[in-house]
Amino acid sequence: MITIRPSGERGQASQSWLNSRFTFSFANYHDPAHMGFRTLRVINDDRIAPGKGFGPHAHRDMEIVTYVLEGSLAHKDSMGQQHVIGPNTIQAMSAGTGIVHSEYNASANQPVHLLQIWIEPAMEDVEPSYQEFSFAPTEKRGRLRLLAGPHPAADAGSSAVIHQDAAVYVTELGVGETLSYSYQPERFGWVQVARGNMLLNGHKLGEGDGAAISKEPELLLAGGGPDGVEVLLFDLA
Amino acid sequence: MQDVNVVVVFYSRTGSTERLALAAAVGAVQGRANIRLRRLPDPEGAAVDPEHGERMNREYVAPREADAAWAEAIVVGMPAGAETLSAQFEQYFDSLAALRDQGKFEGKIGASFSDGVGTSPLYAAMCRAGLITVPVLTDPDAVAAARLQGRRVANMIRALRPANAK
Repeated sequence: MITIRPSGERGQASQSWLNSRFTFSFANYHDPAHMGFRTLRVINDDRIAPGKGFGPHAHRDMEIVTYVLEGSLAHKDSMGQQHVIGPNTIQAMSAGTGIVHSEYNASANQPVHLLQIWIEPAMEDVEPSYQEFSFAPTEKRGRLRLLAGPHPAADAGSSAVIHQDAAVYVTELGVGETLSYSYQPERFGWVQVARGNMLLNGHKLGEGDGAAISKEPELLLAGGGPDGVEVLLFDLA
Repeated sequence: MQDVNVVVVFYSRTGSTERLALAAAVGAVQGRANIRLRRLPDPEGAAVDPEHGERMNREYVAPREADAAWAEAIVVGMPAGAETLSAQFEQYFDSLAALRDQGKFEGKIGASFSDGVGTSPLYAAMCRAGLITVPVLTDPDAVAAARLQGRRVANMIRALRPANAK
């Protein structure tokens, strides 16, 4: 079964410096019908004005994956990590026993557009950690590029390891280009369109649309017009 | 475990006290506290540190009365070595007088952290404000001590709650 979560029905928050769309309940947007899907708790679609951002705040017991679509993001945290990340980079934080971090648009004149994903960890009180990996854009072109998963990748150090039986992939498909994905029995999924248009098993999805996948062993993703699609795919327990 | 609320109020010019404030906040989060981090503004006319000053001005907001009302513990920190309370902290504690006079500080906890000497003016001010103070921890590893202090404060709130509820 494919249940579509249309972009326009997402929660939202707008401030002078921030434009956010919440696929699931977050901050002041609370909808009991949209509290997450399986262990996927948050997909926030944030656009942050130049030089602005989220001041230091805390997290505990959450796997936080950030994927920048456009622009650059400056990260600073209580573990002493300080980085600027851009597109084609995976940033993953395990909050575990507790972290404090800030995220700012690193540019003085360009907005930054990003997806922030929260996955509930399988265990509490893990040692906090920060992971960051970059990849070539060709690695997501026409195929699935693993961003984060429960096991170290075969080519160690190319994707983030998270404390949950969940995998996050990204792919970019041109118009009419297709890709299939098979779920093991008893697995669930989520598809989130980062930009562009696509067909998912015949359903039309546009930018910001999501889809919950249950008891659907085979997915067929096809890039739509005019510019294809960039899409995240989740494989969840 | 019940959530508890902690506000960390600090002044840092070059980022070293900020580091300890972050550690205290992390310790409180380890103790399952909700935290707010607040930085006192640079004194008027003071030179703003080129590397950290502007960044901190951007990242932190100044404490407001509502933060102190929300918090069950106020954790304060200022650069080490000061013999007297800075004008900013004088002003900060003055701004809390109304809450204290309304009895809102009854059962509230105060604590500090430091990478050296100089917390006694802060403790004197916390006593005047009527906060229940948790002694400062000294340790060669100031970051670890600040983190532990944050955790202790969260635990203290929880320990005092039944008494405060009466």
